[in-house]
Amino acid sequence: MVEVSGDVGNFTVKVKKNPRYIEMDKCIACGLCAQKCPRKVDDEFNMGLNQRKSAFIKYGQSVPLKYAIDGQSCIYLTRGKCKACEKFCPTSAINFEEKEQIVTLNVGAVILAPGFKPFDPSGFDFYGYGKIRDVVTSLEYERLLSSSGPCMGHLVRPSDRQEPRRIAWIQCVGSRNTNRCDNGYCSSVCCMYAIKEALVTAEHTSGGGLDQAIFYMDIRSHGKEFDRFYEGAKAKGVRFVRARPHSIDPGQDNHGVTLRYTTEDGRMQVEDFDMAVLSIGMEPSADSQGLAGIFNLELDHYRFAKTTDFAPVSTTRPGVFVAGAFQAPKAIPRAVAEASTAACEAAVALMPSRGELTQQKTYPAERSVSADEVRIGVFVCSCGINIAGIVNVDEVTKYARTLPHVVLAENNLFSCSADTQELMAKKISEHRLNRVVIAACTPRTHEPLFQDTLMVSALNPYLVEMANIRNQNSWVHQREPERATAKAKDQVRMAVAKAGLSVPIQRSKVNVVPKALVIGGGMAGMHAALSLADQDFQTVLLEKSDRLGGNGWRVNTTDRGLAVRPYLESVIERVEKHPKIKVLKNAELKTAVGSVGSFVSEVRVDGEERAVTYGVAVIATGGKESRPEEYLYDEDSRVMTHLEFDAVMRDNPAALKKAQSVVFIQCVGSRDERRPYCSRVCCTHSVKAAIALKELNSQMNIYVLNRDIRTYGEREDLYRKARDLGVIFIRYDVDRKPVVRREGDDLAVDVFDPILQMPVSIAADHLVLAAAIEPNVTKDLVELYKCAANADGFLNEAHPKLRPVDMAVDGLFVAGLCNYPKPLNETIAQAKAAAARAATILSQTEMTLDAIKSFVTEKCDGCALCLDVCPYRALQLEDYQGDDSRTHRRITTDPALCKGCGLCAATCPKGGVYVHGFTLDQLKAQVAAALEAA
Amino acid sequence: MIEIRVGQLADRLGVHRNTVTNWIRSGKLRATATVGKKYLIEKEALLQFCREQGIPDIVMQTVSEFSSVPSFGNAHTPSSPFSHTPNQEVTMSAKPIGSVLVVGGGIAGMQATLDLANSGYYVHMVEKSAGIGGVMSQLDKTFPTNDCAM
Repeated sequence: MVEVSGDVGNFTVKVKKNPRYIEMDKCIACGLCAQKCPRKVDDEFNMGLNQRKSAFIKYGQSVPLKYAIDGQSCIYLTRGKCKACEKFCPTSAINFEEKEQIVTLNVGAVILAPGFKPFDPSGFDFYGYGKIRDVVTSLEYERLLSSSGPCMGHLVRPSDRQEPRRIAWIQCVGSRNTNRCDNGYCSSVCCMYAIKEALVTAEHTSGGGLDQAIFYMDIRSHGKEFDRFYEGAKAKGVRFVRARPHSIDPGQDNHGVTLRYTTEDGRMQVEDFDMAVLSIGMEPSADSQGLAGIFNLELDHYRFAKTTDFAPVSTTRPGVFVAGAFQAPKAIPRAVAEASTAACEAAVALMPSRGELTQQKTYPAERSVSADEVRIGVFVCSCGINIAGIVNVDEVTKYARTLPHVVLAENNLFSCSADTQELMAKKISEHRLNRVVIAACTPRTHEPLFQDTLMVSALNPYLVEMANIRNQNSWVHQREPERATAKAKDQVRMAVAKAGLSVPIQRSKVNVVPKALVIGGGMAGMHAALSLADQDFQTVLLEKSDRLGGNGWRVNTTDRGLAVRPYLESVIERVEKHPKIKVLKNAELKTAVGSVGSFVSEVRVDGEERAVTYGVAVIATGGKESRPEEYLYDEDSRVMTHLEFDAVMRDNPAALKKAQSVVFIQCVGSRDERRPYCSRVCCTHSVKAAIALKELNSQMNIYVLNRDIRTYGEREDLYRKARDLGVIFIRYDVDRKPVVRREGDDLAVDVFDPILQMPVSIAADHLVLAAAIEPNVTKDLVELYKCAANADGFLNEAHPKLRPVDMAVDGLFVAGLCNYPKPLNETIAQAKAAAARAATILSQTEMTLDAIKSFVTEKCDGCALCLDVCPYRALQLEDYQGDDSRTHRRITTDPALCKGCGLCAATCPKGGVYVHGFTLDQLKAQVAAALEAA
Repeated sequence: MIEIRVGQLADRLGVHRNTVTNWIRSGKLRATATVGKKYLIEKEALLQFCREQGIPDIVMQTVSEFSSVPSFGNAHTPSSPFSHTPNQEVTMSAKPIGSVLVVGGGIAGMQATLDLANSGYYVHMVEKSAGIGGVMSQLDKTFPTNDCAM
């Protein structure tokens, strides 16, 4: 980025395009340039653990899969002699004449996602990073574990390339530290990745005797399913040691490390490990500082982009939004969700110009293949070394040529790369192929890509068949290359047998109703509705009670101290006045039929039923504070929950001002057997409340009894502030919970203090319980939409990392507390993200459905056995007049509801119903081929 | 001839005050400076200019009312700091450009790009290294499911 001018709606941005020295349209990614290049440099992708050439690709599956020459190290570019790559390049793609270019772009909005810089621990001399070879950073360790990393996934330690058995993780390196670096915040992700690395280590090493120890201050497993992961790791023998190691010394003969630390009860320990992993935090990168300068944005005191809790992705400059770790340190799901949030904000700002600059991809008309003889082309993928490292791909390719109907069999390095796609399209027309078999990876991720290639080549997309010789073969049979090769041949033979019987299938289309339904009128629901309506989509907002706002009415401030109520009132006003939003209060969802693009629901409003049609739905039914069942709650009026405490703070702070001692107990009903999850917001809430009390009366004694303090991200500042103000934090163990009792008229709390190593008794004027958050998810809702909830009752997303606001049912999105407990800023971000994801559907006029659906044959006699097994209610029974003018019965299928699972076909005793693409003939042929000897 | 103040005109047109100043300085908008930071503008010249900028007629009408509103005073009441009004934003100035620049090709940049492209906006993505994927492509597995990061 060089220069920016203009305002929202019309920015002019100048971007400097650095030369690659290899022309993208000529490079075929054959890798000869890298092979011939004489210059080796450290490979930054593998954190410098191995070397790459000056001519390189970033990683095997890189997009674009095109080589580049690194101008910093290239011998020709630095010293004027060499050009070896140019001599060998088969397509003359090397162009040393390329110069840097300034490209001027006109855009309406900008989204900044420059990411983060992993903290560099070289400055911490006491950890010996850079001096002791067996001390690595967590990102380096990630590469050591990776199968595409420098040791191909066979974990070894750097000093002697031996497999380590005893490994120590040291948490909070470059985070929660204002002494040796200025990163006072918590990086939010390191606890979880350390646990993950410890568990993955067990998968990568053979034999027992592993010792994985994680040295930590607080374990912050505050996300969905994170606590189960943590407890699971404990059960699997990962050791969690609450200590901050003082120093790391080299081990014996300079192999391994010696760790020195003090346990919680004050004993000094010295322990030897084979290697130590520093769990480094995230820092805003230097590039992002530069970007902030160019865009004239304000940064916060840690140099992250300045945003507010109510507009979590909006920078201080209108039209410029942030996503990812530049906003605050965060894990992947939040980065992905907030990327959608940023997309939503940009889309709202540019709404009148939607669709003006984009084009739809067009495909040539499909050629008919029904009359032609079957001509199969087989493409065997090497997947770099993923497949070719184990399976003899040449042998498989040769074998494929001998199979019936196969007219062409070829091997590709990466079948999924853009140039191979072009090559395939060429081969398809050259050899007039009418069926294609790809022996590569999983159709789950790559089938759409190959279907697209067929469509470009004027073939029906369902004429491609994949044989998964990677996930189901080379990855699982790493130690048996010969048998893996034999299995790959079997897989190819089966795929060819099936492909020979494939017929073109047409995808059905449904019209998209450009309307959205939002269920729940709390903060999440209202923001989702506003963002959809601001993008010009009609939105119906259902609220079960008689007023909008939900829990927003009961919370005083956001984590950064903004008052919630005035904002809430302004949002409610906007929702109620918005011409595109229809608010239905006292409403209840009764039915839901249909599928993505076209749903119909009956809604009961004030006792009257009415029908609502919509294309997508956002579920934001929220959550509630649970009622504690312990610590004298309900028995003593001085014991209250967080929200009750907030109400007192709001209405009668004078009553609290007089108090001499207030005790907070954390994890009341969370992280126990009944609710084995962390409620995420309570630590920050207690810390915030403690600060507010100290500000009321600095003499007040405040105690926070906790299991781990989970003030993640920049909330750590609040934790530090509370300690500075004199709030006392006492940790307790779950098997030694505090005891609350009445002593005469007084309340007393007994707890074991692990630092003093003795029980203490605290007199309390008020006791505040951090009660767990429960989802408001009724079974009915889950039943109605056939959507999924986890064991704790929270609605599940389609993919915990990559589709954090989509639900597994197409056309449904989720936001807010019904998905998982979260603070207000994350709720708002998620709601807007759901709106952005929903808009990707609503902005289309029609949607293409997948064609893998059930269909009825003339053999169906209406026995209806299949009706009961269909989990999607896609089958119906109907009467019809036969040729003999008698009434017969048979089933019909609704392609919009059918997911193609095949249960009906498996149940039917007479071949009355099949699934397209998986007919009995095809499966029979496949099984027969499997049983044939190669 | 009508009398304007830069701030007021900027408010009406929905642009930044500096934009108006720049128009005047660069001579795009011919205005004569008078006392008290006020400018005199030929009404026709202003309307012509607005048309060239693609400013909608409704906004132009309010602009042409300038002469009939001689005293500006504090006529413009600032809206509540919370009421974010994108609809106004877009009707005010010239039609926005339907494309977005995304800086960074990591997981966040890629997701923002896909969502925008799928909802009808052209996206320019800028990435400093030779390939997209960011730090996530360097990870082996992801928590809490231990799925392959790639």
